[in-house]
Amino acid sequence: MSCSPFDLRDYLFGVLAEPDRRHVEVHVHSCAHCNEDLERLRLTHSTLLALRDEEVPQRIGFVSDKVFEPSPLRRAWQSLWGSSPKLGFASAAMLSAALVIFAFFRPAPAVSAPSADPAKIEQQVSARVTAAVEKAVSESEARQAGKAAALLAAAEHRFEQQRQGDLANMENLAQSVVVLQKQVNVSKSLVASLEESR
Amino acid sequence: MIFRAVEDADLIRKARQGDVEAYNLLISRWEKRVYNYLLRIVGEREDALDLSQDVFLKAYQNLRKLDDPARFAPWLFRIAHNEAFSAFRKRRPEGETLGEGEFPGLEVPGSGTTAFPMELSIAVTTALGKLNPEQREAVILKIYQGFKFEEMADILDCPVSTVKSRVYTALDLLKAQLAPLKSRGVT
Repeated sequence: MSCSPFDLRDYLFGVLAEPDRRHVEVHVHSCAHCNEDLERLRLTHSTLLALRDEEVPQRIGFVSDKVFEPSPLRRAWQSLWGSSPKLGFASAAMLSAALVIFAFFRPAPAVSAPSADPAKIEQQVSARVTAAVEKAVSESEARQAGKAAALLAAAEHRFEQQRQGDLANMENLAQSVVVLQKQVNVSKSLVASLEESR
Repeated sequence: MIFRAVEDADLIRKARQGDVEAYNLLISRWEKRVYNYLLRIVGEREDALDLSQDVFLKAYQNLRKLDDPARFAPWLFRIAHNEAFSAFRKRRPEGETLGEGEFPGLEVPGSGTTAFPMELSIAVTTALGKLNPEQREAVILKIYQGFKFEEMADILDCPVSTVKSRVYTALDLLKAQLAPLKSRGVT
């Protein structure tokens, strides 16, 4: 059991602060047991290090080998994401393109989504049908009233023309009667004058 | 190490922008460390190589998820840790866990070289093989990969105190086996 003020293994691995290291060194210098313990730790460490690293028997498959090589598209994509200015430019270009496309192909105004309630849908449909029927009926009635008014006006016009014609005929007939009456009177006066002359 | 971290961060930034060569360079910097970590975990060179490839592929695919490029190393080793233990789970029957001393047999790395004695290499490998998997991985990350305890906590997804406990317990066990061995002059 070590009587060192600090763990000798901490000292070996260099995790002690400088003042603590000095404490250990002073103690080990005066304590044969701890000195031997530390020597054995150092010996163990150096013995372990005698087992050296091997060379790699063959090179590790590099990513430049065809099987690992990224496609040109992927490299371009990686390059784009790896560069802030390029990424910023690409973002601005995409935003501009999106604005232009939106300006040319503006979507139709969104129709409000129908209610999911079937009763409401039925009520809305019924109301729309009623309104459409009422509108159609009123339009039809208006068209019929217009036609009737036109026909009535035409009939009145024809009746007035006919009445005017009849009146003119009656006046002509009355004038003819008057002329005929005058002729009769003249004839009567001629006859009377002849009889008086005989 | 600071320069390396700075350069790694630069390579990561370039790799994120699609620079494949930058990632290749990143792999060449880290492949030896990742491979040796996995080799000491799984114990088979072929498996370690396959797993290393999976690790670097997965890291490449998830590079954008790395919040702080300065913490690339713990992040990469976290992937390696997950890949290694995912491979173990696939191999072993469901519900069965790894026990002490039954970790995949570690090969003796470097046995084909004359850089250090075979006996010492075998002794170290044997001593590591007697640790439980958690202790062994903690030692590998601390001694061989040189991670700080906080970084190890990120890699292993457990508290720093747990990590320290694993390393220190393992070190005591290894000391009991290796220190007397070397002092007897096996080298």
